[in-house]
Amino acid sequence: MDQEVIRLNNVSLWRRTQEEFSYDLKRTVISFLQGKYIKPAKKQVLKDVNFVVKSGEKIGIIGSNGAGKSTLLKVICGILDPTFGTVRVRGNIAPLIELGAGFNMEMSVKDNIILYGVLLGYSKEEMKTRTNEILEFAELEEYGEVPVKALSSGMKARLGFSVATDVKPDILILDEVLSVGDAKFTHKSRERIQSLWEQSSTILFVSHSLEYVKDLCDRCIWLNHGEIAYHGNTQEAIKLYLDSVGVKEYIRPPSAL
Amino acid sequence: MILTRKKTLMMWEKLPFSNDIERYWQLLSVLVPQNLNTRYRGSFLGVYWSLLNPIIMTTLYTVIFGTTFASYFGDSIINYMFAAFTGLLVINFYNSATTQALSSIVINGDLLNKIKLPLPVFPLSMIAANIFQFIVGSLPLLIIVTLIKTHNILFVFSLLLPFSALVLVCTGIGLFLSALFVFFRDLGYFYEIATFIVWITSPVFYPSEIVPARVQPFLYLNPLVPIIESLRQISLDGTFPEFSHLMKGFLSGIVILTLGCLFFRKVQSSFMDLL
Ligand SMILES: Nc1ncnc2c1ncn2[C@@H]1O[C@H](COP(=O)(O)OP(=O)(O)O)[C@@H](O)[C@H]1O
Ligand SMILES: [Mg+2]
Repeated sequence: MDQEVIRLNNVSLWRRTQEEFSYDLKRTVISFLQGKYIKPAKKQVLKDVNFVVKSGEKIGIIGSNGAGKSTLLKVICGILDPTFGTVRVRGNIAPLIELGAGFNMEMSVKDNIILYGVLLGYSKEEMKTRTNEILEFAELEEYGEVPVKALSSGMKARLGFSVATDVKPDILILDEVLSVGDAKFTHKSRERIQSLWEQSSTILFVSHSLEYVKDLCDRCIWLNHGEIAYHGNTQEAIKLYLDSVGVKEYIRPPSAL
Repeated sequence: MILTRKKTLMMWEKLPFSNDIERYWQLLSVLVPQNLNTRYRGSFLGVYWSLLNPIIMTTLYTVIFGTTFASYFGDSIINYMFAAFTGLLVINFYNSATTQALSSIVINGDLLNKIKLPLPVFPLSMIAANIFQFIVGSLPLLIIVTLIKTHNILFVFSLLLPFSALVLVCTGIGLFLSALFVFFRDLGYFYEIATFIVWITSPVFYPSEIVPARVQPFLYLNPLVPIIESLRQISLDGTFPEFSHLMKGFLSGIVILTLGCLFFRKVQSSFMDLL
């Protein structure tokens, strides 16, 4: 049970700042000939991040916008490779970074369930047997043959959530995704996360709803400008974070999740 | 002990043939139908639209150049027509496969920022969709031409040899282009010029004999030339393709594919910052 599932050793990430890059062959060649070619600038997004997650833990990650929370999760998923340091992950990850990325708008909901499932790493045969279950959980049974472009954005998010969490992943990554869907679905998705947790899935959870983080997480990481500013007790992390941004008490935002 | 999975994964990545093949296969099995679906709006007959272009072009070439060039094709306009048609099939396959591969990584940039996927699978899926389209659309016609001209089923199978060489060439170029397009989004414009050069230097609508002897060796720098020649030898002359042509086709295919793969691997780590 106490197995180490994620380990980050001295992870640093530099990213190119996009606005400096021309994307233009003609201009690049010309500026090269004129000797004006500038090497694209890079910016450090993650600074020397170290932590270990054990199987079954629920870790909250908080911090202001641009602190590097999403970037950190992408490094853990393997979407981005760290510039320095090492990332080790054991088990299959379900990344819920932005639900519904990967849907083909023209294709039917059923075909998209298979497409999205395969993109997430499950086999086509496996997904075929699961389609009905997923439609049921997403409450989209009547929409099986409808093209995805005809769904509302909340429905798309529900579909994405249902596919990604239908199979019990070893590690579930949630990046500000639980604010989608109506009240009923929000309740349902909370329940499902609860049940995944009880089955000892490891969860990494980014949210601006600190209440929820407080309820759900055993430990919390406060990221500030790409660095871990605090790592440990959830209450303490939230308090330090709020202090740093000069907010006395956390006020529940209108959308509870 | 703990991190076994990751370790085996890294070991596999170093081997050219591995369990990753399963993952690629799964991904291709959903991405290829998706490509075809978007292109033809779910209509299977749509694949046959892709034949409209070579058929119209063949008709035009035959009407305009047929009588002039017939003497190079055994004084037969029909032979000229078949020759133009096989050449066009090759050129069309090359153009559509490489042009679609070109943008494949960039148009999936959004997806790549959210799910970890092997990057080469996107250009490969474009090539695979074109192979499927070729097998369903063009190949039956090519087989019919071959059977009409040769009456021998054996030659039908040997069509696969130059076609495989063509696939190698297109895959290599497709990988190269898709990687370069991440950096240079105006590449399409330059690539249009390149495809024109490939088209005009391929003896599609003219016999290669009319090219001055001094220039002819340069035509063979075009990797499609030996492929077209081999295909014509099989389907029109009913001979087994000249070994040297076939060798040239495969050799350029392997060289281009290797270079394409090496380039792709070298630059792929910078992709994510630009997508
Ligand atoms: N594609 C990108 N290219 C370059 N820099 C990026 C890119 N995406 C995000 N960043 C930078 O990385 C930093 C962290 O961003 P992010 O991880 O999205 O923050 P958070 O999720 O904590 O709000 C920001 O400063 C942002 O400007
Ligand atoms: Mg974010």
